[in-house]
Amino acid sequence: MTSVLAFCTATVTSIPRSALEVVAAARSLAQQLGGVSAQALLLGARVEQQAYALIQHGADEVFLVDHPSLASLEDEVALGVAEYVVRQMTPQVVLFPHDDLAGGHVAPRLAYRLKAGIVTDCTGFAVQDHEIRWLRPVYGGKAMAYFRAQGPIQVATVRSRAFEPLPADPSRRGEVRPVDINPETFLPTVRAVERVETAEVEEGPSLDRAEIIVSGGRGMGSAEGFQVLHDLARVLGAAVGGSRPAADMGWVPHSHLVGQTGKIVAPKLYIAVGISGATQHMAGAGSSKTIVAINKDPDAPIFKLAHIGVVSEWEKVIPPLIQIFREMRSQG
Amino acid sequence: MHIVVCIKQIIDPEVPFHLFRIDPVTKTQIRGSHPLVISLYDEVAVEVAIQAKEKFGGRVTVITIGTKEAVQALHQALAMGADAAVLLSDPAFEGVDSFGKARILAAALRKIGSFDLVLCGRQAGDVEMGLVGPFLAEELGIPCATLVSNVVSGNGKIRLKRPTETGYEVLEAPLPCLATITNDETNVPRYASVKGIRAAMRVPIPTWSAADLGLDLARSQEERRIEIDEMWIPQREIRCELISGESAEERARNLALRLRELGLI
Ligand SMILES: Cc1cc2nc3c(=O)[nH]c(=O)nc-3n(C[C@H](O)[C@H](O)[C@H](O)COP(=O)(O)OP(=O)(O)OC[C@H]3O[C@@H](n4cnc5c(N)ncnc54)[C@H](O)[C@@H]3O)c2cc1C
Repeated sequence: MTSVLAFCTATVTSIPRSALEVVAAARSLAQQLGGVSAQALLLGARVEQQAYALIQHGADEVFLVDHPSLASLEDEVALGVAEYVVRQMTPQVVLFPHDDLAGGHVAPRLAYRLKAGIVTDCTGFAVQDHEIRWLRPVYGGKAMAYFRAQGPIQVATVRSRAFEPLPADPSRRGEVRPVDINPETFLPTVRAVERVETAEVEEGPSLDRAEIIVSGGRGMGSAEGFQVLHDLARVLGAAVGGSRPAADMGWVPHSHLVGQTGKIVAPKLYIAVGISGATQHMAGAGSSKTIVAINKDPDAPIFKLAHIGVVSEWEKVIPPLIQIFREMRSQG
Repeated sequence: MHIVVCIKQIIDPEVPFHLFRIDPVTKTQIRGSHPLVISLYDEVAVEVAIQAKEKFGGRVTVITIGTKEAVQALHQALAMGADAAVLLSDPAFEGVDSFGKARILAAALRKIGSFDLVLCGRQAGDVEMGLVGPFLAEELGIPCATLVSNVVSGNGKIRLKRPTETGYEVLEAPLPCLATITNDETNVPRYASVKGIRAAMRVPIPTWSAADLGLDLARSQEERRIEIDEMWIPQREIRCELISGESAEERARNLALRLRELGLI
């Protein structure tokens, strides 16, 4: 029986949401292709429990590469392991999360080596007569396209939050098969020799988990301007994000960039201040339940993409807004 | 150190949504009167190369696959501070996929002969597949560092800065190697000086064809592995509820009340 193989990583304490998303995508694709199993390849250190969790979340079978050296994963080691397993198992499709490790490195190089057609950053697929068409945004999200990948194997990476993880079903059964391979046989030519933590310990929730995100763009004008957004975030218990110009100017760390090439977020409430609403930005914020735009230009494109709009200079709206929220808080 | 930067010229991706058109037959954006620019991450890669040259010495060559119009992109890179440029142009190059592009670029690099570092933007600003860089490293059989933002030391082995979730890491790689470039606050592309623009116009730019590169692309044309089947512009407008109020302060109050009414705060 042929299969769809989902590439996953995990740590001893957790499975990233992206791993559950690719497993859900693999499950759905396998079902639509019919008579195809959904497999997962799991890499990590002390992650056997997580392999069973992947089965509960939709995998029929998990190939486990569990090794202490995988506690911090070098790109080329992940590539070596993925290539080894894919050549052995010859799945019909290999799915990866579109993250820095897999989307930026492992998936393209693996596809090249296998002479496999590859489509990156997919948000969906359509199956007709066993043929897969991969759906993805192009031109920064201004257009959508269906792609076809040719080759003995197809490789695809899936965009964060394009697929919902399946709820854990403890009654699901499946095999966990340890793969007989020592990842240390893959000697990386490029190695991390130093890791530096620069981000200050952050107050408030992380962008991934926050229910409310306050995000600022070029319109904030300066780092001082951005401070006001932090004040707003504090009263709301919100996380702070930014557009690309805001990140480039250092007003907000790059890890807080929201958009196609940054974080893809889906809070309950996304408040965009001084952001014009470029499709590349909205690709990261568009799944928020409610989007509020505060912009001084009534013709800014964001007013066609937001649910609620306030046409004003932020300097005149945000300070009173902070005051009003404070009052609301104290009144309970 | 000889750094070669691969760049792509694209239609300005900042063209607003309402002016964006596609040709459903060729499945590409219609050029219209929009300006052409160096794809954003490729321009960042040029900046990274020039910064490395300034810090560690050496020279920078830029190459691009394109039509005659792409000379403009090469001029811009020269004006920013690159030393040499080559245009790779041939009707046979049109319509090849990322596998084909990597073959063309690899042939050009072999013709250039000696290079230490090859830089590519992490992904183009139009179709954004992000494949050509890693494919090219494979095609050349050299090490590949991905999503790095700068060169931190360049003697013997190279060290590259890679932004991470909580800070950055330093990667060490042997030379020659290829790196795909992402942006951070250290590599915002510079503007070309007037002097730079003048000097750039005097640099001769050779054009290399498939024959010059000894390439037979019939195979790449036949074996396209990545194809666009259909393209369309989605309708996505939302009815935006504008908050009313005479003064900004009143609008702020009405916004807060509306958000509370919706149970969002
Ligand atoms: C390949 C590619 C990938 C990209 N990826 C991303 C990405 O991941 N994330 C991202 O954000 N961008 C991304 N971009 C960039 C994107 O195209 C836009 O350039 C960017 O999002 C614009 O940011 P902005 O809205 O902050 O700035 P601008 O577009 O300059 O908008 C600033 C807005 O602020 C308003 N303003 C100014 N002053 C005030 C004031 N006092 N009060 C209120 N409003 C004010 C203005 O009216 C304007 O609408 C990408 C681009 C490319 C080509």
